[in-house]
Amino acid sequence: MRIDFRIDGGLAAFPGLAKPVSIDCAALPANDAARLGKLVRKADFFGMPPPRIVAPMPDARAYTIAIDDGLQCRTLTFAEPIADASMRELVAELRLRAGASRRGGDTR
Amino acid sequence: MAVQRCRYRCPCAILPPEILRRIASRGNRAQREAALATLATDQTLRLARATHQLLDAGARKPSLTLPELAKQRTIYDAGHQETLPGRVVRAEGSPAGKDVEVNEAYDGLGATFDFFAAVYDRNSIDDEGMHLDASVHYGRRYDNAFWNGRQMVFGDGDGDLFNRFTISLDVIGHELTHGVTGDEAKLVYLGQAGALNESISDVFGSLVKQRAQKQTAAQADWLIGAGLFTSKVSGVALRSMKAPGTAFDDPVLGRDEQPATMAGYVNTTTDNGGVHTNSGIPNHAFYVAAMAFGGYAWEKAGRIWYETLRDRRLKQTSTFRQFAVLTAQNASQLFGAPGRKIVAAAWKEVGVDVGR
Repeated sequence: MRIDFRIDGGLAAFPGLAKPVSIDCAALPANDAARLGKLVRKADFFGMPPPRIVAPMPDARAYTIAIDDGLQCRTLTFAEPIADASMRELVAELRLRAGASRRGGDTR
Repeated sequence: MAVQRCRYRCPCAILPPEILRRIASRGNRAQREAALATLATDQTLRLARATHQLLDAGARKPSLTLPELAKQRTIYDAGHQETLPGRVVRAEGSPAGKDVEVNEAYDGLGATFDFFAAVYDRNSIDDEGMHLDASVHYGRRYDNAFWNGRQMVFGDGDGDLFNRFTISLDVIGHELTHGVTGDEAKLVYLGQAGALNESISDVFGSLVKQRAQKQTAAQADWLIGAGLFTSKVSGVALRSMKAPGTAFDDPVLGRDEQPATMAGYVNTTTDNGGVHTNSGIPNHAFYVAAMAFGGYAWEKAGRIWYETLRDRRLKQTSTFRQFAVLTAQNASQLFGAPGRKIVAAAWKEVGVDVGR
């Protein structure tokens, strides 16, 4: 499974944080890959109706998630605050992973 | 019958007009005079209300009595969840506790309320005494703050790039001003109108801080979000109104891309059409005007921008130029031809022509 994740908006425009982050589950430790797979299934990412488009709230972010599990692929955008609890959980996990991956590419 | 206290601190009982009329015809002399005075006031209020209703087209509920000018703050702890608001941890009047974010949010809401009340005679976000709610400790390592239409939301920051989001008073002022804009001009959060919406939050966020620190325009740093970055980030703040495009240049965050003039206007589909990028242009116009007026920026430039935000001619989809033309007109009304000249020159410096 491959997940592309992009954060848009927020209190300020940071070009570095707006770059998409790609997560290849095959390259992750088995535990982490299983955890992500579980969150994707719990959120019913492939089965859920597309989120309603609402007027953006000031300084709130939108998250675009594209998932390809080898059989199907789907791209959805969620504006925060996200109403669905399991979707919130998935986004929070992806946000933490995106942060870690950015730090990984940095030698500081 | 509810007895409300009005902002002038007199008890105002709302009596139905028929009872007042009965008192006016049958009561003793003092009672009659009081009832007649109330009826006359009532009539004036009805007229004012009807006029406003016409202008508002039913957008706002009119209140007969003005609510008391008093802060009503409530701070919630979201407990690192992403559900709002969380549990109450500090209510109005209760003493400071050990949680820095709770205290900063409480004090920041207070400073912002006091700013709008003292400087522009505005009673909270909606000018009707709206309670001020904020949630802190939102999410895990959550590096953002936003206004959800009802309350403010602050993350703790990721601890790597960002400190807690309550750390900058101007960021708290910025978020609450989104509430004010949502109540007044209702500028759409897209394109130029969205960048104006953003800029207005930066303007008043900065002014809240400048007033709290008793700084003149020349003394102010004109930064938004100073202190928000950890020491690992090479940058001073989120934005600079004085020098847009210079606030940060960092390997992870990237470079501040805010333009200062229309020549650098960024056409983009991200961030609702670059609302946090192109806001640099009106931000810089405000800075130039405030420096030209001199003294405390909230007194002249701030007053002009505030009146423009409340100006019923300001459209929800206003462009920079439409907004700029109104600031020039309001400058003229408030401070005469010299005021207009300063504001027109400030907009000209950022490449926006307000005409003659």
